[in-house]
Amino acid sequence: MAEFAATVYQNEFLPDGGTDVNAIVTVTCSGAGTAGATGAGSGAVGEIIIVDTSGSMGHETMEAAKDGAQAALAEILDGTRFAVIAGTETATLVYPPVQSGPALAVMDASSREQAAGAISSFRASGGTAIGSWLDLAGTVFASVPEVTQRHAILLTDGENGEQPKVLDDAIKRATGYFQCDCRGAGTDWKVEEMRRIATALLGTVDIIPSAAEMRDQFRAMMQTAMARGVADAQLRVWAPQGAQVLFVRQVAPTVEDLTDRRVEVNALTGGYPTGAWGDESRDYHVAVRLPAKAVGQEQLAARVQVAIGADVAAQGLVKATWSNDSELTAKIDKQVAHYTGQTELASMIQEGLAAKAAGDDATATTKLGRAVQLAAETGNEEATTRLKKVVDVDDEKEGTVRLKKTVAKADEMALDTASTKTSRIKKS
Amino acid sequence: MSVTDNRACPSCGTVAQGESNFCENCGAALSASPVDTLRVLVTEPALSEPSPMDDLGSGPISRATSQTSAPTAPPTAIPACASCGGTVGPDGYCEQCGVKALSPRDHFREQAAPWVAGVCDKGIRHHRNEDAMTMVASPDGTAADRRAVLIVLDGVSNTDDSQIGSLAGARAALDALRVPLPRGMGTPDGVLSAVTRAMSEAAKAANAQVTAAAPADAKNPASATYCAAVLEGDMLTYANVGDSRIYWLPDGEPGVQLSVDDSAAQDQMDAGVPRAVAETSAQAHAITKWLGRDSEDHTPRVGQLALTTPGWLLVCSDGLWNYASEPSALAAQIAKAASTEPAALALALTDFANTSGGQDNITTVLARVTTVQNADQTSTATSTTREQPHG
Repeated sequence: MAEFAATVYQNEFLPDGGTDVNAIVTVTCSGAGTAGATGAGSGAVGEIIIVDTSGSMGHETMEAAKDGAQAALAEILDGTRFAVIAGTETATLVYPPVQSGPALAVMDASSREQAAGAISSFRASGGTAIGSWLDLAGTVFASVPEVTQRHAILLTDGENGEQPKVLDDAIKRATGYFQCDCRGAGTDWKVEEMRRIATALLGTVDIIPSAAEMRDQFRAMMQTAMARGVADAQLRVWAPQGAQVLFVRQVAPTVEDLTDRRVEVNALTGGYPTGAWGDESRDYHVAVRLPAKAVGQEQLAARVQVAIGADVAAQGLVKATWSNDSELTAKIDKQVAHYTGQTELASMIQEGLAAKAAGDDATATTKLGRAVQLAAETGNEEATTRLKKVVDVDDEKEGTVRLKKTVAKADEMALDTASTKTSRIKKS
Repeated sequence: MSVTDNRACPSCGTVAQGESNFCENCGAALSASPVDTLRVLVTEPALSEPSPMDDLGSGPISRATSQTSAPTAPPTAIPACASCGGTVGPDGYCEQCGVKALSPRDHFREQAAPWVAGVCDKGIRHHRNEDAMTMVASPDGTAADRRAVLIVLDGVSNTDDSQIGSLAGARAALDALRVPLPRGMGTPDGVLSAVTRAMSEAAKAANAQVTAAAPADAKNPASATYCAAVLEGDMLTYANVGDSRIYWLPDGEPGVQLSVDDSAAQDQMDAGVPRAVAETSAQAHAITKWLGRDSEDHTPRVGQLALTTPGWLLVCSDGLWNYASEPSALAAQIAKAASTEPAALALALTDFANTSGGQDNITTVLARVTTVQNADQTSTATSTTREQPHG
């Protein structure tokens, strides 16, 4: 049975008149088992593989995508419900081959082979209407009501051909219904577009720059999905009456602002979706503003809980104690400082690349320079490596950089997709 | 005590002795303690403010309501939040306003009579309250035969189980001092030597309990300071070991620290170092005498003083005097509080110590001393201090 634990990192001491409490809450899940094995609600697991088969997919990419999709099939556990969708300007259910009724097959040796056969017959032609792909995935999931843990993998190589609003509406319909990991093949797709889908659908986004990496990426995505034995968990944040929750952010493994996804659990408690969990640990940054109290008083600033259905599986307490001992109040918790830096790092990279794309080199240089500085300060070596492919670093400490004259598009996109990935604080 | 009087601790099962509200073993509350033993520092709602308890219908179900419908509820029901009246969660914080519910051991108040009261508080920096106080007083503080006993023990914070030892010791000393002090042959010297013996016996009883609190194999056996003040008529008899203090603060006149600390700071002061320097030195809080298993000498220093003018008798731990060591500084805080109620003044002094930093546990026990109506019984009263340093 899956077990959750919550650990709080914070400096609970506020100076006289202080109001803002910051804490990092590390939530760790262990004993999750495999998808469908221990899932709360005892529902079945559904997996859908969505592959772009538009005309832009060159021969090499198409073949690699087929190979990748088949590798993902191999990772889906027997007994799991699954389907395969081919995407062009419309979406086509290529497996199982049904016109009506349940559109998710049960995985076993024979259905795996039939599905692999269906994937082999993909031919690249037509346009790209990602909104319609998401809508069909939703319809397919809905055809088997006992499936409650829903996850899809989406691969595209190009920009969406639909009106932005059409895609937005489709994302809205899928939000909270199924999770979706997004991958872009090559460099002709839009990072912002894929990130929008992945963020809303609690998934990851990444670039697959070369066909050779397709198989491994698909396999890894599906392995992660199959290791998620907890179908759905909700992060809950209680704050006292009169307090204001300033923000709730996931800060590790990636930065995701959850603040606006609050649903009311009760007047003082908000719930935030976190999707399915495997054996993993995620960090959340919670900031609460309290009415200041007299020096000497101690109170609870937040209860941060993980709930499976109606059951609270773990709880961390965020506290506030007012003190006029500046030795206590001046300290900023190491974890809070680290993730505040990592969050700024993510936005500096994204804003810097956006400025560069818009031709505003001065802003791009400043923002990416700050990003280099933050990556160094917070020890995010992956970000440092990726940044160095886009800028020449004169002084890492000062954040002085020059934009590289020529940058591989894939490197720039990789920097963008990885911008939200955070490093954990170094254990000293 | 009859068998039916025995109450087992709901937390650890230890059978309680005497009238205590707390378990000697684990410090848990033994019975539903009065709501006013739970308190939020500083903020107390004004009397005109409507209490959330007046509006049980629209709010979340209060603890009291849920108990009527569920008589099988555990006996250790957590009292409602002292700040807003909301339900206190199993994590010890109010589910409505988040204010921490102090455990009854971490903050408790006692009022022995209208003229004698005290507050024992965890303070801010320490994680538990290792101070203890006990007291007893005759009902009428103006009667010629008035009697009060005020006791404070400060458990040493780097020793094991000192919060158990201090409480048990304070109770034992109180029991020893429930009977009137002996007067010996009745001569001044005879009285002093007789009360010195009695006060030493009480300290010995406390020492036995502090010693017993530590398991045989304790690396840092429980230790505590000791302060006892006995007022009979207008004659005050006091005794101390360590650095908890007894002050006499007469109204409108300079006060005096009656007890003499057994501390490194006091040693320095005796050698001529000014108080302000000695009490802020690195070793200031090192005590040279204490109660406990590893104590070499726990004989108290005993003295007497006739209290012939109105004023405050204060027995306190260093959690208070850290922020007002000079009698004049304490007198200033008392003047600021402008109260003749010992309970209200003890709270005000506790809040003063907490707002000043609350570095240590804070215990404040006060007797409001008024002029005795028929003072003829205490014919030996003089205004001079008599003291017999023992041993």
